[in-house]
Amino acid sequence: MSFEPVVLFFLLGVLAGLLRSDLKIPGAIYEALSIYILLAIGLKGGVELAKYPLGELVGDGIVIVLVGALIPLLAFPILRYLGRMSRPDAASIAAHYGSVSVVTFSVAITLLGHEMLDYEGYLIVFLVLLEMPALVIGVILARYGRGEVRWAKLLHEVFFGKSIYLLAGGLVIGYVAGPVGIKPLDHLFFDLFKGVLALFLLEMGLVASSRIAALREYGAFLAGFAVVMPLISASLGTLTGWFLGFSVGGTFLLATLFASASYIAAPAAMRIAVPEANPALSIGASLGMTFPFNIFLGIPIYLWMARFIHASGG
Amino acid sequence: MATQSMVLLTILSEAVLEDTLIDEITELGATGYTITDARGRGAHGLRSGKWSASGNIRIEVIGDEDLCQRIAQRLKENYDRDYGLLMFTSRVDLLN
Repeated sequence: MSFEPVVLFFLLGVLAGLLRSDLKIPGAIYEALSIYILLAIGLKGGVELAKYPLGELVGDGIVIVLVGALIPLLAFPILRYLGRMSRPDAASIAAHYGSVSVVTFSVAITLLGHEMLDYEGYLIVFLVLLEMPALVIGVILARYGRGEVRWAKLLHEVFFGKSIYLLAGGLVIGYVAGPVGIKPLDHLFFDLFKGVLALFLLEMGLVASSRIAALREYGAFLAGFAVVMPLISASLGTLTGWFLGFSVGGTFLLATLFASASYIAAPAAMRIAVPEANPALSIGASLGMTFPFNIFLGIPIYLWMARFIHASGG
Repeated sequence: MATQSMVLLTILSEAVLEDTLIDEITELGATGYTITDARGRGAHGLRSGKWSASGNIRIEVIGDEDLCQRIAQRLKENYDRDYGLLMFTSRVDLLN
């Protein structure tokens, strides 16, 4: 199995939380680390995007966004009817799973570096594009036929919340600067990336350890969902990547994107748009279960899936 | 020293609501407010403030009785059911 040592920092954080260590990363540092990661990933994507003719990507883009939009539509009935959850809770969790996680994606990219596999760099764009449909679908599912929606507030949160804003901003700057123009920033944004990711994962571990306990209260169904849903989404991503003729690395990244669940942008947007949903459920599932599952087991499995489909399907 | 008797309204709520609450408060006529980041435990569990989604804020508004009542009324109607919200008033003597 492929393994990326940076995830051990997450484990270190979880253990610190469980063992009640006094380790604490100050809020301001957490904010700074997340700003760095979002910008660095955006810049990287923009530089890659500059290498491709934009027009040729539109077709692939539409397919990926449409398939991505299936994820919340698939997750919702499972939660609502199999899990017997309330409509707002099911819709909010579905939106979290349709939405994506930048950190999970970053771990996947560092693993590709480790394995020396190439990938379609413009896939980073979908960190931005997959976020919005999932959140909007989540709100529609929650509100279907009743209650008013604060659309203006929601859309503002989606587009100008810091994660999408910084990712999209980084993409534009990277695209405009191109590989040569971005050179002076390489040391800060690309060479140091893995180290910063390690620190961020340490903090994520601390936060996640406080969520695992919360998840225990909501029983086996949600915990099972938090593991099975990413596998379903990843299978969808693997098939889509293969269908679009992506490389092994690209197929794997798309599977990881689909499999990941948001815990930064989606919680804030859902709290505003679907306030009656219990945030402990969605954050507990996405951060307490799915995130650790993805970085330890999911990512190696998705890489195996991508290799398998390319080896057997041509 | 001459002092002026006023009412201090303290609002404890979720950090995610900051902009929304400020819009409401200013719309109702408050001319100033103070916001501080907060964390703690209450009916909505532990609010550790470890990351943005789990942070709380404390908003303080000083005004006359009527303004504070209007703000409290509005926030209670709109946010009390679904969000963590705690409000209280105290009499204060304004010194300047």
